[in-house]
Amino acid sequence: MTETTVDATGSSPLLRAFAYAAVLAVSFVMLYPLLWMVSSSFKPENEIFSTTSLIPETFTTDAYRRGWNGLSVSFGWMFLNSTVIALLAVVGNLVSCSMAAYAFTRLQFKGRSFWFALMLGTMMLPQHAVLIPQYLMFLNFGWVNTILPLVVPKFLAIDAFFIFLMIQFFRGIPRDLDEAAVMDGAGPLRIFFKIILPLSTPVLATAAVFSFIWTWDDFFAPLIYLNDIEKYTAQLGLRTFVDATAQSDWGALLAMSTLTILPIFILFVVFQRLLIEGIATTGMKR
Amino acid sequence: MTSLALTGIKKSYGAIDIIHGVDLAIEPGEFVVFVGPSGCGKSTLLRMIAGLEPITGGELRIAGARMNEVSAAERGIAMVFQSYALYPHMSVYKNMSFGLETARMPKAEIDLRVRKAAEILQITKLLDRKPKQLSGGQRQRVAIGRAIVRDPQVFLFDEPLSNLDAELRVQTRVEIAKLHADIGATMIYVTHDQVEAMTLADRIVVLNGGRIEQAGTPLEIYNTPANRFVAGFIGSPKMNFLNVSVDGRAGEAVTLDLAGTKLAVRGIDARPEGLCLGVRPEHLDVGSDRGTPLGAMIATHVEQLGGQTIVYGSLKDRQPIVATLNGQKSVRAGEELRLTADLAQCHVFDAGGRRVAVQSA
Amino acid sequence: MLVDDVPHRRVHRWTHLRQHLAGYGFLSPWLLGFFVLTLGPAASSLYLSLTDYGLMSAPRWVGADNYMQIATSDPRFRAAMNVTFTYVLLSVPLKLVFALAVAILLNRGLRGLNWFRAIFYLPSLIGGSVAIAVLWRQVFAGDGILNQVLMALFSYEGPSWIANPSTSIYTLIALAVWQFGSSMIIFLAGLRQIPQDMYEAASIDGAGRSRQFFKITLPLLTPVIFFNAVILTIDAFKAFTPAFVISDGTGGPIDSTLFYTLYLYQEAFTNFRFGYASALAWVLVAIIAAFTALSFLSAKYWVHYDD
Ligand SMILES: Nc1ncnc2c1ncn2[C@@H]1O[C@H](COP(=O)(O)OP(=O)(O)O)[C@@H](O)[C@H]1O
Ligand SMILES: [Mg+2]
Repeated sequence: MTETTVDATGSSPLLRAFAYAAVLAVSFVMLYPLLWMVSSSFKPENEIFSTTSLIPETFTTDAYRRGWNGLSVSFGWMFLNSTVIALLAVVGNLVSCSMAAYAFTRLQFKGRSFWFALMLGTMMLPQHAVLIPQYLMFLNFGWVNTILPLVVPKFLAIDAFFIFLMIQFFRGIPRDLDEAAVMDGAGPLRIFFKIILPLSTPVLATAAVFSFIWTWDDFFAPLIYLNDIEKYTAQLGLRTFVDATAQSDWGALLAMSTLTILPIFILFVVFQRLLIEGIATTGMKR
Repeated sequence: MTSLALTGIKKSYGAIDIIHGVDLAIEPGEFVVFVGPSGCGKSTLLRMIAGLEPITGGELRIAGARMNEVSAAERGIAMVFQSYALYPHMSVYKNMSFGLETARMPKAEIDLRVRKAAEILQITKLLDRKPKQLSGGQRQRVAIGRAIVRDPQVFLFDEPLSNLDAELRVQTRVEIAKLHADIGATMIYVTHDQVEAMTLADRIVVLNGGRIEQAGTPLEIYNTPANRFVAGFIGSPKMNFLNVSVDGRAGEAVTLDLAGTKLAVRGIDARPEGLCLGVRPEHLDVGSDRGTPLGAMIATHVEQLGGQTIVYGSLKDRQPIVATLNGQKSVRAGEELRLTADLAQCHVFDAGGRRVAVQSA
Repeated sequence: MLVDDVPHRRVHRWTHLRQHLAGYGFLSPWLLGFFVLTLGPAASSLYLSLTDYGLMSAPRWVGADNYMQIATSDPRFRAAMNVTFTYVLLSVPLKLVFALAVAILLNRGLRGLNWFRAIFYLPSLIGGSVAIAVLWRQVFAGDGILNQVLMALFSYEGPSWIANPSTSIYTLIALAVWQFGSSMIIFLAGLRQIPQDMYEAASIDGAGRSRQFFKITLPLLTPVIFFNAVILTIDAFKAFTPAFVISDGTGGPIDSTLFYTLYLYQEAFTNFRFGYASALAWVLVAIIAAFTALSFLSAKYWVHYDD
């Protein structure tokens, strides 16, 4: 995407000022709840609801201490669970989806367009249609209450969005490079590892960051598959914390909420350009 | 040095035939240039030789061995792509060594070969750079270097100069010719530029619509084009094609009528309808005492190139005609000129475009 | 030539076979996933939807009974449909309008475009997480920040928006609209695709700003609007986390936030009525498919494709 914005219509300064004001107002309203959450997590409990100010009068990290150990299992443990699951999901998605995208864009084999159409079809199929048999199957495998149902499907390229994202990118890599490599004696494996993957770091990074964030954020699958609190992800922990504190300790709740968003926020700050371009090029939301 | 033999080579994409059966024998060490208009199938033919496209029909032999089913890497061929196709993420050195590493050659041997090739191409200083940091001409050299290191039997070039500016193109052209002289490998070179074809080739193969129109040395192609297509494709400005009719015939001798001017020729055995006379602009002269008179030409536009004067105009019957005159001639638009030509350098083409044997009477 | 044709053919087949093998080799993880995680389960859930099946018993064939019950005598299904359709039909258009309006404002060449783009995108990225649902619960609670602000600005004492069945769904719609950023990014990318010389030609032809918007920008943007609308609609039908967290998994108060997926979850994983829940799932699939098909049919009349 180009960085220069061109004014299509040559607006007058007045209009421009109005547009500015509107955009600023909207961003303030949108950010206010988030800022309030963060600032409240550093306020003492009695200050949270007595003022709408975003700057704590008394700065304290006490809410974090209360929240961190607010459940029978420390939040640290759940963050670790979430991290392990999210990292495995990243690896699984990168490996399986890049392989599928390579097959779809670069290899000639019988039935390719048939499978490709089916792949696009699975993007449309709501997960609910397969949810219950999947659950029963994993139950049969004895995988319920383990991380396997959350992780193994990622190694089977279940997230067709990433295949799609990578296909878009691979198509932009000149075919001449493959052919030059063929002339150099390279087979499909070597071309994949030595040419395509090294040239695809931007899309691999995009896919990795999205995978991490979505897995980190996922609530439904852990809710179904994880039963013991020691196995909980941060999201499940947080929602258990909502029930446990029952609004009696808003400071701790907001502190833990802030913490569960923090990893996403950091990734967002570091990789926002990749994420935004990923969305703009696929035209897919989230 | 290796020979190639193409026998009845065909290519179709689905129901569409692209190459219609090409027969060609290429001698060891020969420099062959495929030339033809865009889309005529030059690249397709080259890619079939390379092994990048399956051959639909016919047979390809290299050094006598059938190659149709042999993979690209095992044909002993290297190819230089129009886009250069340098691996953007690898250094120049890595670009050149990639193929050798694929072949599991010992490191020391690889190093030796890369450095030797780099020296030949004078790119030793660039070995650590990435392709992005190179100029167009330097990339071109690396692409050639990548081909050289593998010490191939056959080099293939697909329009390798078309991304260079005019000056660099001439310079690189000379270097490729030198390279061929130095290493003596068989080379097949694709271009749509007739100057490249004329200057580089031992033999030119003129392609059109997936067929060979003519194969021969550059001068054979220039002096005795097999048909109207070849005659028109090679030479600049293009050969004039002038409609003529048969005015009379007495045994071998035939009288042609060109816009009212009678020309006596011999040896036309073709049907008399739809004949045309082909004369290259550089073989026309004006106001000269030598040569055969072709009648009058009205100049409509004159281009002064310094070394040459190009006159555009028409004959009495309004047929357009172009003449290239040596030196600086003072010709003005609207002027009537007396045209002459050496009939020995003229050609007669029949209605089907074939060149028919002809001698001046 | 004919004589040594046979061994060549063998070589030929082998190189061909290798190509197919490589293709299927690279595709194998996806293929396995397709059969084991998608095709098999889809077929199986279709079958289960025609059975009575709980945790303790084997599936018992009941034919179309589940579907009949859904269609005729399930008040909670009707509540869920009500809630879900309200949510889809309000949140999707609002989100689109917001996304488009802000994209157009940003496309005016404001300084700091990248900053604003990032700020507006942030909610989309984190909006699905439990923390945001928790925050939302707080924002719209009786003593939440919304009411604090209303009090401070207008001395208006607001109700608990969450606990009130007639307003609770709107808090979730507000949450959806809050996440308009990703659609906005897609619109911005679409706006960039419109060639500048079209505007130049139009202004030479004397078209004013609003005419340019309605005659150039909007028509050329309709494919992007269409695409966004379809994707947003499908996603809205599948929304789950916010309703679950805000209502503690109940869909209350009085089923006023009983999203379809939430009802499905309750039937499957609280009541363990796998057969009935499977039928509910396929009804949802049918609804989404019908919506998508309708959108594509309607596209003919309003989406502008240039060619
Ligand atoms: N993969 C393909 N599928 C169908 N037609 C093709 C394909 N590749 C090339 N062609 C067609 O084959 C013809 C010859 O192409 P090419 O060999 O690239 O021409 P040249 O190199 O002489 O310009 C063209 O008409 C082109 O459209
Ligand atoms: Mg070509």
